[in-house]
Amino acid sequence: MTLRIIDRIGMGFFLGLPILWIVLFMLVPYGVLLTYSFWIKSYPLFEPAFQFGNYLTLLNEPQYLSVIGRTLKIAVIVSVTALVLAYPFAYFLVFRLKNATIRKVLFFGVIAPLWVSYLLRAYLWKTILGTQGVLNSTLMGLGIIGEPLDVFLYSQAAMVITLTYIFIPFMVMPIYAALEKIPRNLDEASADLGQSSWTTFWRVTVPLSLPGVVAGFTLTFCLCFGDFVAAFLVGGPDGLMVANVITSQFGAALDWPLGSALAVVMLVVVLAIISLSDRFEQRAKVQF
Amino acid sequence: MAKTTPLKTILTTSLATAVALPAWAEGELSLLTWEGYADDSFIAAFEAETGCRVSATYVGSGEEIIAKMAAGGGVYDLITPASDITKLIIEAGFVEPIDISRIDEWENIYPQFRELDNIQMDGEYYAMPYTWGAIAFMYRDDAFETPPTSLAALFDPRNEGRIALWDDKSAIYVAARYNGDTNIYTLSDEQIAAAVETLIEQRPLVRRYWSTAGELVDLYVGGEVDISNTWAGYQSALIAAEGIEVTEFIPEENAEGWMDSWMIADGSADNACTYPFLNMQLSEQGQCGVANVNGYSVANPVAARNCMTEEQFVALHQDDPAYLDALLMWQPLGDRMGAYVNAWNSVKAQ
Repeated sequence: MTLRIIDRIGMGFFLGLPILWIVLFMLVPYGVLLTYSFWIKSYPLFEPAFQFGNYLTLLNEPQYLSVIGRTLKIAVIVSVTALVLAYPFAYFLVFRLKNATIRKVLFFGVIAPLWVSYLLRAYLWKTILGTQGVLNSTLMGLGIIGEPLDVFLYSQAAMVITLTYIFIPFMVMPIYAALEKIPRNLDEASADLGQSSWTTFWRVTVPLSLPGVVAGFTLTFCLCFGDFVAAFLVGGPDGLMVANVITSQFGAALDWPLGSALAVVMLVVVLAIISLSDRFEQRAKVQF
Repeated sequence: MAKTTPLKTILTTSLATAVALPAWAEGELSLLTWEGYADDSFIAAFEAETGCRVSATYVGSGEEIIAKMAAGGGVYDLITPASDITKLIIEAGFVEPIDISRIDEWENIYPQFRELDNIQMDGEYYAMPYTWGAIAFMYRDDAFETPPTSLAALFDPRNEGRIALWDDKSAIYVAARYNGDTNIYTLSDEQIAAAVETLIEQRPLVRRYWSTAGELVDLYVGGEVDISNTWAGYQSALIAAEGIEVTEFIPEENAEGWMDSWMIADGSADNACTYPFLNMQLSEQGQCGVANVNGYSVANPVAARNCMTEEQFVALHQDDPAYLDALLMWQPLGDRMGAYVNAWNSVKAQ
């Protein structure tokens, strides 16, 4: 009897703390954000209200939709690029590389940058991509280009390169995990049934690794969608992302209500993508 | 006798202090300011003389000051916003009046600054002018055969990919002046729309919208740009120190001017360190201190005369009131601020 009560108290603590944490640091802030989004800007600051003016502004002024569109575009390009690079890499590690030590080393080679500060890595790309940077000097040294190219830095291309580099570990990890779980005898069974390794890859490996791909794509996409540092450090005059507009509303424009409305829209987009991918992942799941 | 651990000592002492001195913050000043405004080169002496400990939080933009104060800036005693947002800060109730009878050199401040409406309300002063300067323009000497003298250089296709512009609502001021609208702080919606058009046309020519002082320096040093606007006196010195020759100029279309001042956060006038600190900042110690660190002009020309070399005095235009009068000093935009900022955002969103 007493044991059961102690058990219950213990369980309460065990579950209570994380729940308290989620309520205090996630739900309450989101609630505050949502509340602000109905307030109204009124010089010098803003006033409590309940109206949808901020959301209407987001719809009616073309700049907000065009920034959201650009952010989606960059997030898609980065996620696809990361996938195209990460999948063959993970496949090679799991299926083709025989030496376990080398496999570990290569895997950690991709993951290791996560231990280095994001800002530091983004700054690093500035020195690589600059007009007098490493990339231009190398290309000129090899005689491939005569004049330094300035498209590498302060452009959307620079943002895609930087974001792909920064978020690619989030693509590699789930794909690697998914590939590793595929039983090897399925490969052999497919071969026994007379299928070429190409068909086996497309009809066995790819479908079975799909949950990993979806997870990786979702992670990379959402991280990109909310990024603001890449635009700030390596973006060009056409590099503004949603997160940058939000900071400007909370700062320069001093319009917290509009900034909150934009943040809520962003949150809805991310949640929609996560629940979509969750559904997709459930459907793609296979029991062995 | 019980053993006394260091922790116990600290606890007892601080408890005793709290009882003896209700104003526990006494002896400590917390600043929300720009880098350089609390530089050790002149603050260390102040701390040694007064026993006041000064700690500073640095901001990157004036709006950051507002945002921090709006979020409850109770921990800060003194702030240093520029003259375009002092009015808003006063009206938002973030600060309290300054007793100018306790500011020794108040009468030495440029009359142009003392008379500014945006540092006063109901006959009381809320800000002590400190530094000022121009948002000048700057070019790389070796990039131009004929030195540019007009804003036209920033809109000239021949300079494509070599132009940098400050990522700030100031871009609207620049474009409006280029369009011939000199009332840059009271632009109509049509004038703002025209400025946006101009900036959108200019955008393909722009290499980068810069946002921090260090970034603009990097752009010149890395060979990315040849012409830009600049916080006069500050970045050009840093670039020159890297061995690159640049020249600042005020274009035919004129330039904006700014003035930073010290304001006392609500509830900090009683801090015993506040007025000694303000007096130090307006004296030769603070005025030449900041001029030497940041290269800005200062608000007290009498102190400047005494502590600057003739060369520095002239270089910072302290000898020439006409220079100051010619600048379009930043004005509060009031409820139009959002219109300016959103117009600038819409250029970048295109």
